[in-house]
Amino acid sequence: MASRFSGVLQLTDLDDFITPSQECVKPVKVEKKQGKSVARIQIEDDGSYVQVNQDGGKQKLERAKITLNDCLACSGCITSAESVLITQQSHEELLKVLRNNKVNEREKKVVVVSVSPQSRASLAARYNLSSSEAGRRLTAFFRGLGVHHVFDTGFSRTFSLLENQREFVERFRRREQDSKALPMLTSACPGWICYAEKTHGEYILPYISTTRSPQQMMGSLVKGYFAEQQGLSPQQIYHVAVMPCFDKKLEASRSDFYMSEAETREVDCVITSGEVEKMLEEEHVCLADVEPVGLDSLFSSMCGDEFLSHAGSGSGGYLHHVFTFAAKQLFGEEVKELTYKTLRNKDFQEVRLEKDGEVLLCFAATYGFRNIQNLVQKLKRGKSPYHFVEVMACPSGCLNGGGQVKPPAAQSQKELLLKVEELYKAERPLLPESDTRVAEFYQGWLNSLGQKRAEELLHTRYHAVEKMTNGLTMKW
Amino acid sequence: MKAALTLVQRFGAHPDSRCWFVTWSPNGTLLASCGGDRAIRIWGREDSWVCKTVLQDGHQRTVRKVAWSPCGNYLASASFDATTCIWKKKDDDFEFQSLTVLEGHENEVKCVAWAPSGNLLATCSRDKSVWVWEDEEEEYECVTVVNSHTQDVKHIAWHPNQELLASASYDNNICIYKEEDDDWECRATLQGHTSTVWSLCFDAAGQRMASCSDDRTVKIWKEFPSESWKCVCTLSGYHGRTVYDVACRLTGFLATACGDDAVRVFKEEVPANPDELVFSLAAQETRAHSQDVNCVSWNPKEAGLLASCSDNGEIAIW
Repeated sequence: MASRFSGVLQLTDLDDFITPSQECVKPVKVEKKQGKSVARIQIEDDGSYVQVNQDGGKQKLERAKITLNDCLACSGCITSAESVLITQQSHEELLKVLRNNKVNEREKKVVVVSVSPQSRASLAARYNLSSSEAGRRLTAFFRGLGVHHVFDTGFSRTFSLLENQREFVERFRRREQDSKALPMLTSACPGWICYAEKTHGEYILPYISTTRSPQQMMGSLVKGYFAEQQGLSPQQIYHVAVMPCFDKKLEASRSDFYMSEAETREVDCVITSGEVEKMLEEEHVCLADVEPVGLDSLFSSMCGDEFLSHAGSGSGGYLHHVFTFAAKQLFGEEVKELTYKTLRNKDFQEVRLEKDGEVLLCFAATYGFRNIQNLVQKLKRGKSPYHFVEVMACPSGCLNGGGQVKPPAAQSQKELLLKVEELYKAERPLLPESDTRVAEFYQGWLNSLGQKRAEELLHTRYHAVEKMTNGLTMKW
Repeated sequence: MKAALTLVQRFGAHPDSRCWFVTWSPNGTLLASCGGDRAIRIWGREDSWVCKTVLQDGHQRTVRKVAWSPCGNYLASASFDATTCIWKKKDDDFEFQSLTVLEGHENEVKCVAWAPSGNLLATCSRDKSVWVWEDEEEEYECVTVVNSHTQDVKHIAWHPNQELLASASYDNNICIYKEEDDDWECRATLQGHTSTVWSLCFDAAGQRMASCSDDRTVKIWKEFPSESWKCVCTLSGYHGRTVYDVACRLTGFLATACGDDAVRVFKEEVPANPDELVFSLAAQETRAHSQDVNCVSWNPKEAGLLASCSDNGEIAIW
């Protein structure tokens, strides 16, 4: 089976000669129990291992299990985490929870699905709908399956953009004292984060914005604010995100996003646009035939029954928003339109703010592994002229994510991407600063939690993964 | 009994280590070698072949391959330390200095090759990827990373007159790459070998390509319209063990380096059927080296001059 992770993650697979079942080199922690006797280990007919003690007594041995968290903490490989992932985060899991809800009233969970704008556009292209229409019909489809609330990560993205803007201005102001303050590299792409942690460690991580991605912002909102409001414990909510990207499953599984007190993840399960298409097909439903319903207004970025989006790139518009905000805040410049200059290829673009021949701001958008390489090398050699870089692992960014719906046989990937881009861009943009509802969350909820707690809910941390030096990973 | 090769000279090149690769400079006057001792040596002809210079301290592990730039002023070295070094020749003497180090591959770099234009460089690695780098005034930037193989990529070679790249892999396949609308992509995957493809080379016109494999065969591939390559000839039954390298010469000759310690030369025959391709064994040296022969290289200017190298650290000139 071909890996569905972004190319960046596939590349960080360190070992290649051995098959997946043998591939894992993670040393497993064994709980040692006190015992004096020597024992034999016997393999039973069913393949289980049994310890035979000297007195003849038998004891079934526990199977060593590798969890996704083990995989994430290990530098051995990443792609073998895929099988682990599929069992923990799939549309089957969502259906299982929904089925359980119908038969088991006591353990019933409130099921929340947060759909990304990129997935909406991908499914809209698949079913010849507008993006908003696709969103309304998806809401109806999920409700029909027993989902209680359908939200829009465009709403939580407003938080991400605001935090990015704030963080950048703060970093820019301390750039003289702190050599690692700039360039600020975006953090919304989990493929990029995983790659940076596994291969460049402490060298690159300080440059990466600590702002949470829209998915994990939504995690804070759903398991924090929403749970409180509904009088539920975070564990009583099953939160699913619909994303354009497989790597997002890894992001949801990070220990940083595990609520240890409540023993639950902020996002329990991530399914891709393609997996939603599969769900529709399994239910024999054509999205275009689903009767649309009104949207869940609590966490949706909308006006009437139309979704609102953000300006700039299809990957969230981070460069666009941080650039216009910083130009205004730092230099008093009102930027009406950004001029993107294509550098080496279409996935490496630059935007500058110049005044009297002086470059005040130099931003870049860097997509795809080849361009990430050049960016990292430039940083290492001290030759990066950038203040800010929007980094995405996929060529063409998130609208072209590995989890998006695949083109039909008659259509090329490029044609489909153009259509998805067009549908995505057709949604009216909303300026994050003028979103009064988000402002209310800042003034009310976040303010009431205190600065430290608010910071935790809006930001995250990264951890360098040490390269394994155990002999198993050596290969000639 | 086939004709034997005439030994011109044999010399230890990488003492107590393997000599992995030898390659002639474009004007044929210098031979570069590399090996397990992490060194690159440059050999020139005086009365006999002598070491002109040693390039050390560039790599921390085995240097697997070296490549001359088409102008002959630069040398690129691929190492198991995951880096590729670019060396620049100083004017008029045999001194080289390290210009830059290309980082990015996750692990062992297996091969490096310059495009005929001289401004593109390709590398491949055990990380399964093939990278193309562009030289902009001695600054090298990554143009593409292509992941078309499912295993270790052993060798890469450029087409002699087009911007077309071929790679050979542990996954038994050969991939052909071309730049297409802003990025490079794999245009064809050539299947046929039943084990690791260790090396490949284009003929001078670029219409044919020879590949050699752990399956003990050499295959000749020909380009047909619409970018398809088909195997038109398989040389089997000649090699006792893995064929590690194959080298094409201008006029219908192929040389092979084999794990059975032999160097063989094949000659193209005029076939009865014009659609067929026939090669016959023209000469062989069964004990060319006392251990595996890793590489063979034809001198580009002096017809018939062949260099080979072996696991025992030696180079032989034939």
